[in-house]
Amino acid sequence: MSTSTYEPDGGSVRRGSSDEDPSALRLEGVGKSFSGTPVLSDVSLNVRQGEVHALIGQNGSGKSTLIKILSGFHHPDPGSRATVLDVALELGDPGSAHQRGIRFVHQDLGLVGRLSSLENFALGIGYPTGALSRIRWRQHRQIVRDGVRRLGHEFDLAVPVERLAPVERTALAIARALHGADNLSLLVLDEPTATMPRADVERLHHLVRRVSGEGIGVLYVSHHLDEIMSLADRVTVLRDGRKVDTAEIQTVTKENLITMMTGSTVNKDRTAAAGTTTAGVVLEVRDLSFGSSGPISFDVRGGEILGIAGITGSGRERLCRTVYGGSDYDGTVLIEGTPLKRRNTQHAVTSGVGFVSATRLDDGVVAEMSVRENLMLGDIRSVARFGVVRRSRESAECADLFRDLKVKASGPEAPLASLSGGNQQKVVIGRWLRRRPRVLLLDEPTQGVDVAAKADIHRLVDDAATTGVAVVVAGSDEEELVRLCDRILVMRDGVVARQFARGEITASELAFECLADDKSDQKEDEHA
Amino acid sequence: MPEETETVQIDGWHSDPAESPDTLDRGVGITRRPARWSVGSLRLSSLAGLYVLIALLVLFTLSDERFAAPQNYRVILASQAIAGILTLGLVVSLISGVFDVSIAATMALSISLVGWLQAEMGFHPLVAVVLTLLAGATVGALNAVSVTVLRVEPIIATLGSSAILAAVAYWIAEGQTFIDGISPGFISFGQSQFLSIPLPVYYLAAIALLLWFAIEHTPWGRYLRAIGANAEASRLAGIRVVRVQWSALIVSGLLASLAGIVLTMQLGAASFGAGDPYLLPAFAAAFLGSTQVQPGRFNVFGTLIALYLLATAVKGLQLRYPDLPWIADLIQGVTLIASVAIAAYAGRRRAEKG
Repeated sequence: MSTSTYEPDGGSVRRGSSDEDPSALRLEGVGKSFSGTPVLSDVSLNVRQGEVHALIGQNGSGKSTLIKILSGFHHPDPGSRATVLDVALELGDPGSAHQRGIRFVHQDLGLVGRLSSLENFALGIGYPTGALSRIRWRQHRQIVRDGVRRLGHEFDLAVPVERLAPVERTALAIARALHGADNLSLLVLDEPTATMPRADVERLHHLVRRVSGEGIGVLYVSHHLDEIMSLADRVTVLRDGRKVDTAEIQTVTKENLITMMTGSTVNKDRTAAAGTTTAGVVLEVRDLSFGSSGPISFDVRGGEILGIAGITGSGRERLCRTVYGGSDYDGTVLIEGTPLKRRNTQHAVTSGVGFVSATRLDDGVVAEMSVRENLMLGDIRSVARFGVVRRSRESAECADLFRDLKVKASGPEAPLASLSGGNQQKVVIGRWLRRRPRVLLLDEPTQGVDVAAKADIHRLVDDAATTGVAVVVAGSDEEELVRLCDRILVMRDGVVARQFARGEITASELAFECLADDKSDQKEDEHA
Repeated sequence: MPEETETVQIDGWHSDPAESPDTLDRGVGITRRPARWSVGSLRLSSLAGLYVLIALLVLFTLSDERFAAPQNYRVILASQAIAGILTLGLVVSLISGVFDVSIAATMALSISLVGWLQAEMGFHPLVAVVLTLLAGATVGALNAVSVTVLRVEPIIATLGSSAILAAVAYWIAEGQTFIDGISPGFISFGQSQFLSIPLPVYYLAAIALLLWFAIEHTPWGRYLRAIGANAEASRLAGIRVVRVQWSALIVSGLLASLAGIVLTMQLGAASFGAGDPYLLPAFAAAFLGSTQVQPGRFNVFGTLIALYLLATAVKGLQLRYPDLPWIADLIQGVTLIASVAIAAYAGRRRAEKG
């Protein structure tokens, strides 16, 4: 039914070459284990000259490991073989990949925002120089201009790249990667559109086609299936470290691909609606918009755990911080009917809102301080009398909390930095629970946390909800959301696309929903 | 727990976690075996500076009769009392992560102002002191505007205000030193002794106790440390970061101003250039102090130990090598770099031990 989302690209000339030509890249039996655990097993892959070959898979499917083997960052297991244009490639050796004409552009592009295009271009490559190492600026400018023109772009090369459009930055990074490689065989693009506005994506595709039009193979890693359907010639799907299949793009639908990625099918007839009652609403979010996301509206009742799912770039990753007031927004956030002051975390705190950041070490904890000091951070006044901290009271409270939270450490005086990530996270959550919040916003609460600590954290969140706290959990861990949440909102392209009640959806179905696109949903709605 | 163990309250003095690893699962207090002498109880790592100070005092006293003169001890104590008041203000700003390099210039301004208000304007000394302290606090507030409103890096903001303050100090004094017109009563507060110890030493002691209490035992002190270590985490935890930064810079300006006033009392003359030489020793003592008592943290008692250690070393060497006038600068410069390097090394080791 969804083949309608595939729009053949009539404009570009495909130079997909026949099987007789040597492949731009051929991988055979590539595997990789970390301390005995295989993360990649027996993957074979063949990228033809002049084709755009998409590589897709969920988080943990092994695609980044594969890219890292190709770039020489990881050594593959013995028995892995690779050739470039029928010449052997030494996997795990960055020099060999470079020498064989393989170039990489990673998601972060490797650009320095404050430097100009001209300066960024020279990073790692250097400048053309004359006598006394004088930079030949005119020649350099010509090289850079030609490099981006080759990709169909023209922009001011002297302004800081942070002022360029995202697609222009990507063009610059690609031009730099392609520069000086006369035997260029393969360009690897790792999530090039993850943070790109929709309007720019089409321009990027145009650029990619120009590269492949020169006979260069392009290996294109992406989460966005729509993009792949319109851009790629073929697609290879990885799941759990194994290759599921490689298919010509004309022969598959997006639903096929999702099924291949998640290993399950979705019952599309399900009605996704729940929680229409507003009794006991504690947190109300009204027409919230920030960045390119929004408007978003939802309610959370006391005692309810609301999940927010969505891929990175859907707005999910900034929602909790924004509601808390950590960054600016338009719209209204109400706690028990009283609006919060915008961009004012103190007001959020005094109104009974707690926030657990996904970037724990950056802005969640004070690593230099002890567990006790981190537990009391921001609320030390509660154990002070006449402006004096009562240490005995503080220590007693922290000792109780330390025990209840099941923090694994020598004691409340242990430096926070000495704790594992999971135990640090318990401290951050405990800091808020101690203050008896009305709303708790958790962003990726168990990211990088071991299994045991994860179970403890889930128990803490459950207990908090039992005592009437309105909890929001945003994250990319679908199993966690399905397990914890009473209700799950799926965000796509900055808005809430779907809503599910507990039990209505499994983790892999939720992953499917995050990757699905709005067009097909609308079609279903029309059918309904 | 067995009868004979005693419980010692955790406080600022004993909160070095490396020192008391076995005591922590109880949470409420440190339990210790009955007092029994051990090398560990000397706390060699965190009180090394104190032992070196004692060793130097013994060495110089025995080897140099000029050093052993009671008058010499009084000079060291009194001159360092002024440096100490200045340095403790600096410590407050350093704890909160805002480097205030304008302290010496604030001191210079205060010297000019307290002299000019008495000599030229004929104010009562008490009024002059109060107005000068207000000016110091205002300097701190203006620095806070640069840092929190204009968002200038603290070290740059205060470097800039230093130059401005030096200009203002010169302008007020018209380049002169005020000697006539400074009240004898005012001067007696800097030159008198109580129990044969100069009065400024008591001022320092009072301020040290007050700041120690504020830093270790009030919410304000806890906020200072939290903000200095991770301002963004503190903000997200609900601390009013800007307000605390303001308070730190105002305290720093106020104490710098007080140091200038006490120096004027001690000299009996308002010479605005007299404040400048205090900048480097203050930074050297604050950073060396951060390796003492509570290693890894700027703290009041560590700073006092460091201050007198440096002063004793400088004085002893100056007496022994009178033709090497650069020795003080050399010691302070080396100390500053070495103590920051030691602190960084110790921090890395703590992180590795983890």
